Amino acid sequence: MKICQISDTHFGSESDFNRKLLYSLLDRINNSGFSLLIHSGDVTQSGRKDEYIEARRFFKKIKIPHIVIPGNHDARNGGLKLFEDHIGPVNGYKEIDDGIIIYVNSAIADSDEGRVGMVKFDLIKDILQKYTDAGLKVVLIHHHIIPIPMAGRERNVLSNAGDILDLLIKGDVDLVLSGHRHYPNVHKVENTLFVNAGTTSSVKTRYGDVNSYNVIEIGDREQSFTTVRVDGRKSERKYSRKRNRVFYDFGSKIFRVAHLSNTFISNDRSFLRKHFKNAIMTINRLEPDLIVHCGGIVREGITQDYELAVRLFSTVDGPILFTPAGRDLNYLGYHLFPKYMDSFDQKYKTEDVVFQGVSSSQYDSPVGIVGDTQRKALFKKLHESSEGIKAIFLHHNLIPIPHSREKGLLEDSGDLLREVVDAEIDLVLTGTSSHPYAAKVGKTVIVNANSTSSVYQRSVMGNSFNLIDIYEDALAVYEVNSLWGSRRLLGIWNRNG
Amino acid sequence: MLNGELPKMYDLDQPIRNFVSKRLIEIESYRTVQEAAKKMVEFNISSLAVVEEGSIIGFITDGDIKRKVVAEGLDPGISVEEIMIEELITEDIDITVQEALDTMTKKNIKHLLVTEGTDVVGIVTLTDLLDIKRHSLDTYISRE
Ligand SMILES: [Fe+2]
Ligand SMILES: [Fe+2]
Repeated sequence: MKICQISDTHFGSESDFNRKLLYSLLDRINNSGFSLLIHSGDVTQSGRKDEYIEARRFFKKIKIPHIVIPGNHDARNGGLKLFEDHIGPVNGYKEIDDGIIIYVNSAIADSDEGRVGMVKFDLIKDILQKYTDAGLKVVLIHHHIIPIPMAGRERNVLSNAGDILDLLIKGDVDLVLSGHRHYPNVHKVENTLFVNAGTTSSVKTRYGDVNSYNVIEIGDREQSFTTVRVDGRKSERKYSRKRNRVFYDFGSKIFRVAHLSNTFISNDRSFLRKHFKNAIMTINRLEPDLIVHCGGIVREGITQDYELAVRLFSTVDGPILFTPAGRDLNYLGYHLFPKYMDSFDQKYKTEDVVFQGVSSSQYDSPVGIVGDTQRKALFKKLHESSEGIKAIFLHHNLIPIPHSREKGLLEDSGDLLREVVDAEIDLVLTGTSSHPYAAKVGKTVIVNANSTSSVYQRSVMGNSFNLIDIYEDALAVYEVNSLWGSRRLLGIWNRNG
Repeated sequence: MLNGELPKMYDLDQPIRNFVSKRLIEIESYRTVQEAAKKMVEFNISSLAVVEEGSIIGFITDGDIKRKVVAEGLDPGISVEEIMIEELITEDIDITVQEALDTMTKKNIKHLLVTEGTDVVGIVTLTDLLDIKRHSLDTYISRE
C-alpha cells in the first residue's frame, strides 16, 4: 500500500498559505498510485469559515480516499464545529483493505498544546482491541508523540504522550502519522514507525526548509518513508517490518549496570532509608561493573543532605557515577555537587564501554536542557572513544514516560534523540518522572528509572532501581524492587538488528 | 461515587497481545537441564522454548525441572530434550485474556506459547495476565 501524507496546509490568506503550490500537487496526488491520502491537521490557518470553504473545495478535487484530521489551528475561533460541518468527523476509524486507520483530534480550543483525554484514549484502545488482528494498523494524530528535532524551545507534545506511546507500542500499531512541527522526521520505536510530516503549503517552514509531503510505502516485509520536497529533493528511510521477538543467542556477558535515580536522601521522612539500604545491599550482591545515578540524589541541595548522601553511598562496592537533577543544584547545590559528588559531566571508560554523563539540569528549575554546544561536545567525546558499547546518561527524559506528564522531557529532547539514534548509541539512561520504562528507538535502548528510595514514586510495584545486562548480542533490562530485591524483566533487545 | 459498580481492575476482553512478552528465550535441545536452569535464573524467567535447527520443538518450565529431575533424583546433566514437553500448547496473539485464562485452567498450565500467523512470537504467563499494572495502561490526565 502506498500512502500520501500531506499536512499543515494552513488554508488562509496569501501571507500564510501558498495556494498555487498546493494546487500544483493535485495531479501528483491523484495520479501516483496512492491508495490513500492523509492530512495530519492544521488544514486552516485560523479555523475560519472562509478557510474551511476553500479547503472543502480542494478536497473535492482529490479523487482517492482520504482522511483529514484537525490540528490546533483548526480549533481556533470555534473552528472544530466548522471542521465537522465542512470537512468531516474529528475522531473515528476507517477500514482499508485488511487494515484499520484510527484518527483522533488532539487539538484543544484556542491552545497550541495537545491532549488525548480519556474518551479518545479509550477510543484508540477499543478500536485496537476490536481490530487486533488487522494486517495494518495506522493511527493519525496531529500532535507528535516522539520529540521532533529542530523544534526550538517549544516541546508541545501531548500532555499524556507517555501513556499513548505505551498503548500504541503494546497494540503493535504499524504506523503513527503526525504533523504540527512543520519538520519532517521519522523514528522507529519498538515495532512502530512514528512519522512526522513537514508543512505542505504553509509559508512557515523551519530552518530554511521548503514545503514537502511524505510518501509511505508499506510492503509485507519492509516499509519505506520518503519526504518529497517541492524543490525536487527526496530523502528516504527504509525499515524492516520483521518483528524480532525470539531469542537464544546472547553471546557472552560484557557489562552489568545498576541504574538508580531520585534517592532524595535527607533526614526527612520522605526519604525511605530502609528502601535505600536494602537497594544498596542488593546492588552489592548483584556485583555490577558500574552504578549510574541519574539525579535526584538529595532532597535539597544543602550541606546536611549531601553529607548524609556521601556517608550512605560509601557502602557501595564498585564505581558509581552521578548526574544532577534540578533539586541537587538548589540552594548551595551548585557548589556542593562538585564538592561532594565530583564533576558535572562524569565519565567511565574501559576498552569495552564508555558511559558519558551530560548535565541537563538548571538551578532551581525542573526544566532540563542540553543545548547545542554541550550536545556537540558530548558527541565529539563519544566519537573519540574506541569502538565498543557507548552509553549516555542524564536526568531528563528523551522519550515520554507512561504514568507521568510530559514535563520530564528534556526541552531539546528532539535534537538529542535524533543525534543519539543516528549515532547508534547503544544505551541511554535517564532518571526523571519516577516510573520505570524501557523502549528501543532505532538501535538505541532508552531506559528510565523509578525513584529508588523516595515516597514520591509512580510504580505500583513500589520503589525500584534498574539492572541492565549487556551481552555481545543482546541487552536485558530488569526492574529490581528496592525493599525486597525481587526482579522483573522489563525487556530484552537484540543489539545487532 | 462508584454508582454501585466495582472498579474495573481486570479488563478480560482485551487481546493477550497487550500482555504477551514478545521476548521468548530459547535453548537448544542438546543443552543440559542444568544449563536450562541457569538460563532461567539468569533472566529471572520460568520457562524456555526448546529449539532444534532454529525451530521450536518443545517447551520447558521450572516446574518440569523440579518435578521431573530434582524430585526424581535425576542427574541435571541430562539433556533438556529428555524432559521437555513436546505437545506445544499455543494460542493466537489476538484471543482475549479471558480465553487464555480458560485454556490455562482447562489444561492446568501457567504458560502459553503465542503465535501470530504461523510463527511463535512470544509467551504469556498467568502472572502476566493477572498483572494489574498491565491492565491499567493509562494515567488520569483529563476526561476530554
Ligand atoms: Fe501547523
Ligand atoms: Fe499544529
